[in-house]
Amino acid sequence: MSDLLRAPAEIKYAEELDWLESVDDGPKPFSWRLSPKMVRLFVLGSERADGLDRDVSQKWFGDRSIVERAIVTLASDRGLLLIGDPGTGKSWLAELLAAAICRNSTQVVQGTAGTTEDHIKYSWNVSMVIAKGQSRESMIPSPIMTAMETGTIGRVEELTRSTSDVQDALISILSEKYISVPELDSDNIVFAQPGFSVIATANSRDRGVNDLSSALKRRFNFVRIPVVTNKKSEAEIVRFRTEELLRRHQIELDVPPTLLDVLLQSFADLRAASAAAAGDDEKLESALSTAEQIGVLEDAILHSNFFGERALTAHTLASSLVGSLARREPEDLAILNKYLHGVVEPRSKEEGGSWPEFLEGGRDAIATLS
Amino acid sequence: MSTPPEGTFTALRGQLQDAATAFADGPGALEGILRGIVDDVERAVREPLEIFPVCHHSPASALAMARRLREKQPKVVYLELCEDMAPLLTELRNCRLPVAVQAFASEIEGFPADWAPLSVVAPVTEASAEYQAIAYALDTPGVDLVLVDRSSDHVFQWETPPAADTGPDAPPADEESALHGDAVGVEIGDLRPRFAELEEHLLRHGRVRHWSEWWHQYVELPLGGSDHDTYRQVMLLIGSLFRRLAPGDQRRVRIDEDRERYMWTRMREHLAATGTDPADCLYVCGAFHAASRVAEFGVGGSDTFVISAPTPTKWRHGLIPSSHAAIEAQFGLAAGSVSIAATEWAKNLKRTGVRPYRLEGQAGTKKSSGPRKAAVPALPAAALPPADRLTGFLQRPPVLDPLDEAELLGWSVEIVRAARRGGYLASTADAIAVFETSILLAGMRDRVRPTPYDFQDAAVTCIEKEAVPGRRDVARLVEIMMGGDRIGQVGYDALPPLARDVHDRLAPLDLKLQQRGVQRALLDIAGRPELERCSDVLWMLRRLLPHGAARPIMGDRRLGERAIQESWDLALGTHQRALIELGYEGVSIEQVLEQRLRRAAYAPRATTAQVLEAVEDAILHLRSRRLADELGTRALEVLAGERSVDGAPEVLRRVRRLLAYYRTGEPVLPPWIESFVKTGYAHYCTLLPTAFTDEDATVRQVAAMLGFLFSMEGLALSLGCDRTQLELALAQSHPQEPSRTALLWAAQTHLGTLSRADLRARCEGLLGNPLVVPAYPRYLSGFVHALEPVPGLADLVVEAVSNAFARLPDPVLLPWLPTLITSLRAGGAELAPLLIREAGRVFPARLAELDSWVPPWRAPQEIPALRPRQAIGAPQGVALLAAHPATCDALAELLGCDGGWASPEAAAPRGAELLAGHPETATALEALLTAG
Repeated sequence: MSDLLRAPAEIKYAEELDWLESVDDGPKPFSWRLSPKMVRLFVLGSERADGLDRDVSQKWFGDRSIVERAIVTLASDRGLLLIGDPGTGKSWLAELLAAAICRNSTQVVQGTAGTTEDHIKYSWNVSMVIAKGQSRESMIPSPIMTAMETGTIGRVEELTRSTSDVQDALISILSEKYISVPELDSDNIVFAQPGFSVIATANSRDRGVNDLSSALKRRFNFVRIPVVTNKKSEAEIVRFRTEELLRRHQIELDVPPTLLDVLLQSFADLRAASAAAAGDDEKLESALSTAEQIGVLEDAILHSNFFGERALTAHTLASSLVGSLARREPEDLAILNKYLHGVVEPRSKEEGGSWPEFLEGGRDAIATLS
Repeated sequence: MSTPPEGTFTALRGQLQDAATAFADGPGALEGILRGIVDDVERAVREPLEIFPVCHHSPASALAMARRLREKQPKVVYLELCEDMAPLLTELRNCRLPVAVQAFASEIEGFPADWAPLSVVAPVTEASAEYQAIAYALDTPGVDLVLVDRSSDHVFQWETPPAADTGPDAPPADEESALHGDAVGVEIGDLRPRFAELEEHLLRHGRVRHWSEWWHQYVELPLGGSDHDTYRQVMLLIGSLFRRLAPGDQRRVRIDEDRERYMWTRMREHLAATGTDPADCLYVCGAFHAASRVAEFGVGGSDTFVISAPTPTKWRHGLIPSSHAAIEAQFGLAAGSVSIAATEWAKNLKRTGVRPYRLEGQAGTKKSSGPRKAAVPALPAAALPPADRLTGFLQRPPVLDPLDEAELLGWSVEIVRAARRGGYLASTADAIAVFETSILLAGMRDRVRPTPYDFQDAAVTCIEKEAVPGRRDVARLVEIMMGGDRIGQVGYDALPPLARDVHDRLAPLDLKLQQRGVQRALLDIAGRPELERCSDVLWMLRRLLPHGAARPIMGDRRLGERAIQESWDLALGTHQRALIELGYEGVSIEQVLEQRLRRAAYAPRATTAQVLEAVEDAILHLRSRRLADELGTRALEVLAGERSVDGAPEVLRRVRRLLAYYRTGEPVLPPWIESFVKTGYAHYCTLLPTAFTDEDATVRQVAAMLGFLFSMEGLALSLGCDRTQLELALAQSHPQEPSRTALLWAAQTHLGTLSRADLRARCEGLLGNPLVVPAYPRYLSGFVHALEPVPGLADLVVEAVSNAFARLPDPVLLPWLPTLITSLRAGGAELAPLLIREAGRVFPARLAELDSWVPPWRAPQEIPALRPRQAIGAPQGVALLAAHPATCDALAELLGCDGGWASPEAAAPRGAELLAGHPETATALEALLTAG
């Protein structure tokens, strides 16, 4: 375990990747470090039937065919675009894939409104240019260019947040697989080495902000990642991420399974309510994704660890839930209030358990906020 | 078929025992299961009556069946299908497959009434083993086809109630998948693990998404070209495995075992009755039932099962169109799997060269080129005893087809074309990417050759960039490309008499009504009077069939009207099932309609309005005075028993229409409608006081009651009703709520107990009283509704509304406006035009006139002030008459009164004079009095 605040996947799972590489005897495309089947095994975890000597834990939870399609795309000529609602694990899957394939998941360009073409291609070290003139030494390659040179995976996060001209800089990279540097007289083309590919992520809620051009769409395979609605796998994800979080903060705190159930159930209820809502005013602004759930739980855990009695209670959980989900006043608060009175109150009378305390916590939080 | 020698499977048993010891901690449960499976296989193989295990929609089963039939040429084929469906099977040749054999019962006895109607369907596709068996048996002379499974009646006797299978979350079924309606499906060879964990395990390790894909990959493909013994033993093995690993759902196990007992009992009965040698027979059943362990199993099984008697329910049978989508939806198969099975079947036939059986003259298939051989020479049955084929099969890795590159390329190109047609941006580059991705995906999933499902995944990955609502997604495009949904059609000859009759009667339209899709029919009835009969049929179909089967575009059928031209959108081919199911109810649509009308009218919860609707339909569609009278009498009964006024507006509307119809078309009113008006008058008079105060009754309903009373009054009084009843009822009404109070005032004005001036004054009072003003709009609502019973009040209503606009404060007026609009909308065509016409009359037509305009209710205030009182006291009329006696004299002469005008002073015995002139009356009176 490294002592970084958040180690990238290739460092965090370095030992497991080394071991997998040592036992992998499948055919490897290009310069891949693992064969496609082993990549899948690394991401989705091993089973008894795989006949391995040690357990490989599951790191991404979702449909197997999504992972398979993503891996196969990377082995083909096209780039991979993971698209889905916020918090569905797109970036995490991209990181895992890059780590497994080339042991480097940090060649990332973050797409923002301020991203320029230089961030995708290259830029210049101005002082060096003044001192020595334009040369390969004074050039600063972008993460994507580095990936091309080394035959590894480059990542672009939130592709649709950057403007169309910046996006289109990717077109020639993905089809011609080289970047020309017209400023140089010689050695002015950087060719991609075998194994280079791009994993981009895009938020389906941002659609239409900077929609992809057809030319760029054609060079990507789209893999849509759905919101996890299966309660069982959602519970697994929340547990997995929370454990990781507790480890990272070195907190010794138990998350009672009943509280996890309360959290999952309340999110399921709120999602159902959002699906049934007629207009935007009647649904929460939050996408209610799994990541949001983890956020709520994280908030509750940290709160109870530092300010509470070092035990997670339903009261704290409810106030975290209200605090994280109430973003607009008064719409979100009204919805949460309606939820507490219409759903939680009858349930706390019927089922008891942690619900009455949860109800009380929610009420207190709403009273504080409004 | 010769029985295998003892110990055929000894070696396999030994191996399995070793395996059980190795995998489990010791020989125990696992060993029991594994050895039991071998026992089951051996038992079935040793049975002298050859058991042929099949799986539904399995091309491998169909292929093995076709081969086996050619080889063995059995004399009797026993088939696992409801025994009462037998007579219908020969009609299959008139249909385009897939169709479903249906047993239907609408009048049920012996089952709870709310189960009705009961319906069982058994779909038949061409790529199925059962179709091979049916085609062989029906077209080969001297071969018997015996259906041995429990009858449709027993399906319901043994099953629990037909659960509503469309839960609230179930997606709405589209047209194709709803072809079977809510029938219970029965199918030969339902083979699927009943143990959810087992299925999950198989799917996970098979790297497949759903059961159909697993079956295709791990059973269908490896078995595709295997020999008979291997096929049979493997199918028995799978059947036995699923049976032994099923959790003990007692009810389901009992039904399954009862079915096996039933089938074996029936087969033994047939063998005994005909004396057939079991070796000449073939028993086709699902692999699950082939591995049965009941005591009745086998030719030598015990005869202890007693088949229960069927209930008195009368079952009707027919063929209905089916479709691949409907089969998939009903039996929980993955979308597209039946289509893929059909494609696989065609491919297998081409690859193996097996000649399938097909019913002679089967509709919807290509004619075979060249004459068929009259009889297929019987190949000698396999003389060798079956050896143990299982061991080899289980040890050998599945023989996979080598990569068929040309086929995959073809698919890739085809899907890109289909996607482009579907509005996707797809190019040749995508075809290449799909091809490459399919192979890579298959490689990741340990397959040499991409399956259609891998290809589907690849196509979705490479082509689908966004989901556009209303556009077909790529997965669906692949399904369509792989064969698509095929929708069956029942041929004319296989239709029930009613459906044939409908087609015959619609023949003058010159349309191909059997075809699916919407067709436009134009009926120029004025030009071709014979089309009027078609129009009758169409209107009845519109009443009886689901919406969309026959939809009038132009033309209307109302009481007393006759159409000159009509145009229709007809989709009888699409709604063939509905038409066929009508055929179970009677032999002609008139009969069915009459039954339906009667059923609606005599239903325990029928309301008066519903019965009157039935009366109207009887006149409109059946032109039957007899039925209309009968139903009308029923309406009378229902009305007398009704205690609520919910249906009053509808009753009023319908009775008015019927009255108008009878008055114009008949010399005398039918007795029932006279009684109806009489009873209705008394009935509504009685209910009026309570309705005025009842919170559940709406203003509209009360207004409709008053409408009935006022508009039928003339007729009712002439039939002996008493107006006092109405006056008393109104006097007893004391509504609290403002709108009803307004309604009462309007009614009183109509009856003359409240003058218009008083009514106006009351309205003024309301507007002037600040405490009541907020309620004024509600009074207005009452007045608006009062237009229905008292249309003469329109000017007063316009005045009241105008006053409201003029004087009501905005906070009161504005919230009320939407209510006014909605109540006018709900009142429909009747109220709004009346009000608008009156308003048009009152208000100035031009803007310029508005300045000088004074509302009539303000202007004429002086006129009544000028006229009044002056006249009172003096006998003005008499003076005038005396001054001009000519008029009176002329009138008197006309009336036969002799003697001229006499001045008032001269008047002495006026009556005596008249009596003297006409003594007859007095004489007759005298005779009467004396006679008494």
